[in-house]
Amino acid sequence: MSEKLNQLSFIIGVFFILVALVLLIGYATATSLKHAINLYTGLSMMVFGLVMVKLKA
Amino acid sequence: MNLHFADYLVIFIYFVFVVAVGFIIKKKITSSNDFLNSNKSIPLWITSLAFISANLGAQEVLGMVASGAKYGIMTVHFYWVGAIFAMVFLGVFMMPFYYGSKARSVPEYLFLRFDEKTRALNALTFAAMTIFSSGISLYALAKLLEVILQWNFDLCIWIAAGIVMAYTLLGGLTSAVYNEVLQFFLIVLGLSPLVIVALQDAGGWETIKTNLEPQMTHAWKYMGEADANPMGIHFMSLIFGLGFVMSFGYWCTDFLVVQRAMIAKNMSAAQRTPIIAAIPKMFMPLIVVLPGVIAIALTKSALDAGDYRIPTDANGGYDYTMTLPSLISHYYPSGLLGVGITALIASFMSGMAGNVTAFNAVFTYDIYQAYFFKNKSDKHYLNVGKLVTLFGILFSIGTAYIAASFNNINDFLQLVFSFVNGPLFATFLLGMFWKRTTGHGAFWGLVAGTLAAAITHGLTIAEGKGGWISPIYPISSGMGQAFIVASFSWIANFFTTIAVSLVTKPKTDEELKGLVYSLTEKVYGTEKRWYLKPAPLGIILLVITILLNIIFF
Repeated sequence: MSEKLNQLSFIIGVFFILVALVLLIGYATATSLKHAINLYTGLSMMVFGLVMVKLKA
Repeated sequence: MNLHFADYLVIFIYFVFVVAVGFIIKKKITSSNDFLNSNKSIPLWITSLAFISANLGAQEVLGMVASGAKYGIMTVHFYWVGAIFAMVFLGVFMMPFYYGSKARSVPEYLFLRFDEKTRALNALTFAAMTIFSSGISLYALAKLLEVILQWNFDLCIWIAAGIVMAYTLLGGLTSAVYNEVLQFFLIVLGLSPLVIVALQDAGGWETIKTNLEPQMTHAWKYMGEADANPMGIHFMSLIFGLGFVMSFGYWCTDFLVVQRAMIAKNMSAAQRTPIIAAIPKMFMPLIVVLPGVIAIALTKSALDAGDYRIPTDANGGYDYTMTLPSLISHYYPSGLLGVGITALIASFMSGMAGNVTAFNAVFTYDIYQAYFFKNKSDKHYLNVGKLVTLFGILFSIGTAYIAASFNNINDFLQLVFSFVNGPLFATFLLGMFWKRTTGHGAFWGLVAGTLAAAITHGLTIAEGKGGWISPIYPISSGMGQAFIVASFSWIANFFTTIAVSLVTKPKTDEELKGLVYSLTEKVYGTEKRWYLKPAPLGIILLVITILLNIIFF
């Protein structure tokens, strides 16, 4: 885990997964966040985040 | 604009990550070289994205959107004329000297090539310029947060500066570079949805072209006469002023960006850094120019169903600087609003941290170590580097208030660059490619160039600025004025350097080995495959750039 934290792609990936979760959970649970743009952006960021996490430095 | 919990949560996550990066990097910082130079250990993809991201500060993002709204599609000239060619030139021709000379900074290269006084002049002007740029970033962020979120201006400045200080003090240049890459992705992914929804709202590109004057949607067509285009400049002024003087002066000599290439692992990676960076740079107008053009089209369109308008200032004119924040406020709902605001905050931090890390390297190596304490321990210089970081941020806070008197941040920044960078490229061009150039020639050339910049600014007036000697030559835009100032400063430097060099004694060939083109062994790289070689990559990029210029002619 410590080694992974030193990989920038892993850090960037985790960041975007967390932001995507905020958008997707918000879309699913809060009326004020229920906009299609939140859903699409959240999904895009989730895919990007997962790809970055999987990348090797 | 009101933020909800989800918006604050995104901003909070971002702050936690940037500071966490500083803590992670901190363990690796054991010497001044680690702190100020990243120990030349950064992979190519990171140096390339950091190279472009160091330039992707608040002034770039807010300023280019503002210019897109003010000048239309002509703003792409800052990319397709004013960046790509110079980035390729840097990678192919100049990086071998910067990297091969083992200099730790651009001013140090000037010391090796010329003499001490030339380094001192460059180091001092560069230090001042980075503080100005950093201050502009800080001002932009504070103004933004004050206007759109009604947060306290002064508080915003101190909190934002504090966060940048935390991660640059913890991890030095590596921390700044890592965060610049994170910020790059955040800016691109955070602002891309805005372009899509705003473009859809405006009815697509064809509708925008119908709703705007043709001068706003053509890059070159109306540049035959200065009065016929919104920027108010002739195409020759653009090509020479922006495409040659300012562009090469910035991308090829500004240590802020060159530093990102100098920390690459080897010569091949250092050469490819600006060339790889030119690929995303080529497409950045989609993120930072197009929204401005869409905004002015929506504002002027009678068919505007979304009711979007560019905000106006106290005089009733458009407040172009606020174009991007107003678009975000108009189109982004809660959740994504937090992402958009965070992207803007990231752009500020990227610009400020880049300037501060360049400032502390130049100040520590080229001023403190060179003139005050030459033979101290490495730990001493490490501590000085950290202290300089602290003071750099405090100075930035001071200069943030100076920027408040300009309504278009980008105009202001271009003006500052034209004073300092305009003449500088002439010094490097002659220094690297004409071995007869002397230290005295370089020094007096720089002095003459900077004086010429000041005099030209004092004799021209644009948008109420300049003309402090006598406003004898009016120019319709601040941007056009900056190009003309830069052009005169370059010409003054070029001819002064040649004249003084011809009557002063040059260095011997032995002293200049590895520092000038004719006396440096040509190394064509260790890479066997053509797509890893700088020259073929550069040629492909230049061809694509020319095609883009033709498409948007």
